[in-house]
Amino acid sequence: MTSIGLIARKESGELLKSGRGLAWLLALSVILSVFSLLFVSNTELSLLDNAQVVYMVMGTITALGALLAVVLGSDAIAGERERGSLVPLLLTPVSTGDIVFGKMGGQAVAWVVTYFLSLPYLWAVGSSGQNLVEAVVYLALLGTPVVLGFGFFSLGLSARFGNVRAALITALIALMLLASPLLLGPGLRQSTIGKAFDTVNPFSAAVNSFDSVVIDSQPFSMQLGRFAVTLVWLILTLWFAGRSVRTVEI
Amino acid sequence: MLIEIDGLELSLHQRLILAGVNLHMQPGDIYGLLGPNGAGKSTTMSVLNGLRQASSGHVSVLEMDPWTQRREVHRQIGVLPEQAGFYDWMNAQDYLRWFAELYDRALAVGEIQLQLAQVGLDAKNADPIGTYSRGMKQRLGLARALLNRPKLLVLDEPTNGLDPRGRREIHDVLLGLTRESGVGVLLCTHLLDDVDRLCTRIGILHQGKTVVEGSLSELLAGGPAAGMRYRLRLLAPPLRTEFAHGIRVVAQEGQWWRLDIGSGTSPQDAWRELLDAGWAVSEIHREGGGLEDLYLNLTTTEAAA
Amino acid sequence: MKSIPVWLFACLLILAAASARAADPLDISLSAQPSNPATPQMGDHLNFVSAIRNTGQTPAQGIVAWISLVQVDPGHEQPVDLEDWSAHKAVTRAILAPGEQITVAWPMRLIQAGDFRVVISAVERDTPHIITSPFLDFHVRRKPVVESKRVLPVAFGVPGLLGLAMFWRLRRRWSVSQKLDRREK
Repeated sequence: MTSIGLIARKESGELLKSGRGLAWLLALSVILSVFSLLFVSNTELSLLDNAQVVYMVMGTITALGALLAVVLGSDAIAGERERGSLVPLLLTPVSTGDIVFGKMGGQAVAWVVTYFLSLPYLWAVGSSGQNLVEAVVYLALLGTPVVLGFGFFSLGLSARFGNVRAALITALIALMLLASPLLLGPGLRQSTIGKAFDTVNPFSAAVNSFDSVVIDSQPFSMQLGRFAVTLVWLILTLWFAGRSVRTVEI
Repeated sequence: MLIEIDGLELSLHQRLILAGVNLHMQPGDIYGLLGPNGAGKSTTMSVLNGLRQASSGHVSVLEMDPWTQRREVHRQIGVLPEQAGFYDWMNAQDYLRWFAELYDRALAVGEIQLQLAQVGLDAKNADPIGTYSRGMKQRLGLARALLNRPKLLVLDEPTNGLDPRGRREIHDVLLGLTRESGVGVLLCTHLLDDVDRLCTRIGILHQGKTVVEGSLSELLAGGPAAGMRYRLRLLAPPLRTEFAHGIRVVAQEGQWWRLDIGSGTSPQDAWRELLDAGWAVSEIHREGGGLEDLYLNLTTTEAAA
Repeated sequence: MKSIPVWLFACLLILAAASARAADPLDISLSAQPSNPATPQMGDHLNFVSAIRNTGQTPAQGIVAWISLVQVDPGHEQPVDLEDWSAHKAVTRAILAPGEQITVAWPMRLIQAGDFRVVISAVERDTPHIITSPFLDFHVRRKPVVESKRVLPVAFGVPGLLGLAMFWRLRRRWSVSQKLDRREK
């Protein structure tokens, strides 16, 4: 196995075997459960159309995936440094680039786990409606670059700040800002600033694409622009993480 | 040469941290790098580990530049850093197996157990590392440093947190390694007892500068602290406490007197002179070692200046 | 007696409106497609078709036509935000020659239960008022879409399984620390 694979294996093992990682996954599943139960128990919500519910759950899954990526990314460099396990890793014959890519691989595994954990919820709320398969596919297609981008961004912050708390707070503020389309109603997003923000915001791109595909049954050709925005976000954050890791001080 | 450092200087954030470090180490040497807190020991180690780039001076580790040939250097050295963190959720065997794979080594279960037993850990213990005591983690750190069969071991406070028996066991491991395979050990420690027992050469850093470097026996024989300190118990107060040369009264507390006897005076001559001066001695204890004096003499600000 | 002038004024207004309508250059028809379900329920798709025809003598210019939906349940009358109902909310046409007609299909997915009224409205550059189609009413049956028989097992099962994994791990860790305590004693 390559060094990148070995580090990614360790990172994903930490998520699946350590008490901390399991606690995060449990927290994610509890949030999704509460959300799903709301749809059943609340009269208004339970009458929402299937596609509408699937769209809302997709947005929530993306936000939760990004949240987990932010937590893991903030801990990736600064946390290891604070726990004293970064220096032994840097003293192996593995390049810094491989360490970073390995950690990114760990984040990808975390997202895959979150994704598969959320599929039963998507099925539960949307199996009798339309476009469930499309929902599953588009969650992978657009959710992945958005979530991994947040992970890489927070990994870069973690390397730059060398302090988990500072990296986490900054990354959370960025997440709150970019995920605001989930919180703001469509009305607020129709202003000029709102539209401009929506155009460049990867989170909006993903959420609008979910809406377009799941609710309006629009084709992939109409999602190309949004898909491109999420890819640009992924590339920019990858570049930022790569540059930031070079500034790591022992 | 395992390590060759001449005139190493390093500035961090416009502050001169290392201002002339020299360090020379041959295969089979156990080299003690000493110095008070903040003297620059850990920074020197980070430069020779390739984690920091020297501002100026010559640094060579295993005939390589540790900064530009970092990966090759890392392949051939084993390091126990001061803060040797682990992944608490793993057990020792899984951890060593994983770590060895980073060196492209696939360790069999037997090899791992041997490695653990070598540093005094229970080879079959499957408990997570998070449950280990500090001493156990220190031993595991040493096992990790030995994984790649290094030519050079760089150990920062390796016996920290170990009980006297544990320290003795680690000493034996290190002595065995240098004797059997010619591994060089660079030991960075505050424990002069470790240095006294293990090291063949020492270097003392003070304020980012090497103030002395050389063979331990030579330094003790001819260094500024050559000579001995004794603690004497007297039956009655002495008649005279001033002596012409070679003997100096350092302190007195009740019946106990502390004396320094210089290297130019033999103990027999000194006892005779003391008897002549009316010293009724009932007990004699030799105090401290020459190393402690050497260290203290060289690391006081005035001495360094 | 006082109400007579008011009635007369109202009649005049109606006549004026009728004559104005008669002078409208555009005529808009609206019909439901025969393939639409007879008693639609939430989630079903409906299609409406409207034909916009220039009945005037001169070309109609800058035409914008759009669909509007109003909920008409007694006590719940309100306009409906079509955001989730349809992606096809308006059409434009730069010019429509006299006698020319455009046919527009208005697909719609039924999001909410209740009584609704749909209407197509249009404006034309030189006509100073809005032109509307006749109303079309329909009823959407209620359908609970999120079924508890699917949600409940998932909502309790997934965290339950993860909780069990954590419990097993904690128990193992606890037994390790007990073992270490015994060893130290």
